[in-house]
Amino acid sequence: MAVDTSMPVLVVDDYKTMIRIIRNLLKQLGFNDVDEASDGTEALERLKERRYGLVISDWNMEPMTGYELLKQVRSDASIGKTPFIMVTAESKTENVIAAKKAGVNNYIVKPFNAQTLKGKIDAVFGE
Amino acid sequence: MIKMDEARVEKLAGYLRDRRIKDRSVGDVMALAEIMAEALQDFMQTFDQTLYHELGEIGREIAEMKTEIGRLRPGEIRSAHIPEAGRELDAIVEATEAATHTIMEAAEVIMEADGSDADAYKNLVDARVIEIFEACSFQDITGQRIGKVVETLQAIDERISRLTDRLSVADFVDAEPSEEECAREKRKRELILHGPQHKGEGVSQDDVDAMFGPASQDDIDKLFD
Repeated sequence: MAVDTSMPVLVVDDYKTMIRIIRNLLKQLGFNDVDEASDGTEALERLKERRYGLVISDWNMEPMTGYELLKQVRSDASIGKTPFIMVTAESKTENVIAAKKAGVNNYIVKPFNAQTLKGKIDAVFGE
Repeated sequence: MIKMDEARVEKLAGYLRDRRIKDRSVGDVMALAEIMAEALQDFMQTFDQTLYHELGEIGREIAEMKTEIGRLRPGEIRSAHIPEAGRELDAIVEATEAATHTIMEAAEVIMEADGSDADAYKNLVDARVIEIFEACSFQDITGQRIGKVVETLQAIDERISRLTDRLSVADFVDAEPSEEECAREKRKRELILHGPQHKGEGVSQDDVDAMFGPASQDDIDKLFD
């Protein structure tokens, strides 16, 4: 079964350019319903307003990082099961392990390409 | 060690022995103070001279340090070098942002273009590709700007090195960081913020994939070998 590309996706990054890149790549993959947030706090607000099928988040943001956002999402029963992919330049082993322990579904190291993004989305949805 | 004159000490002791009386007058106290002052005079004179020399040495050291710090031209670093480097870095951010915007816009137009008319599509793509080439010229200018920032850092590094060498200053490794530094470090530590790693220093996407794969624990273990 193909991934449902009609699901709303939330992209969280403090760099507009990166949001634009991810938005365009998602568009190429068929995802047209894409919202954005510039940090974890804003993302939490969006997540409480709307049910998203996927969150794609950066790690290093102010004031709330993607790591904090992930932990907040996982601790909130109403949104706790939302698939979450971390897309970040934080590439230390301890970062990956911490994210995995916190419940991230997949992890992409920047810089990345469209194929990697597609591969991780497929993996998250069991393709 | 400087000693008080023996005769004067004896005089003072004798005075105290002779005056074991209950009612001491102001005159007695004044006389005692006079004898004590006399007894300490030589000591204080010698002490004054030593202290004077020591203070003179400290004064000369401070003057020398001030001269050396002056040679560092901290005012110039603060008022010219640092702001100029900041302006260069801001200009780099602006230039890369503008170029990225132009390139992405061109790519988005190509992505959205209708390919049904081959000639029109080719013309559109050609025009947008030229825009992309033009935007890439930012690299030359930012390269020059980065060169200027590096020069500034080298100039500051040279001056500080010269100062520390002349003053024989060793790194004070036990120096307590400021509260602000502590808070910043604490946040970085707690939120595991390392920033981008240099090539070969962080884990690769393959390493990450291995950690998310079926044999993830083994792969994680391998990363710690």
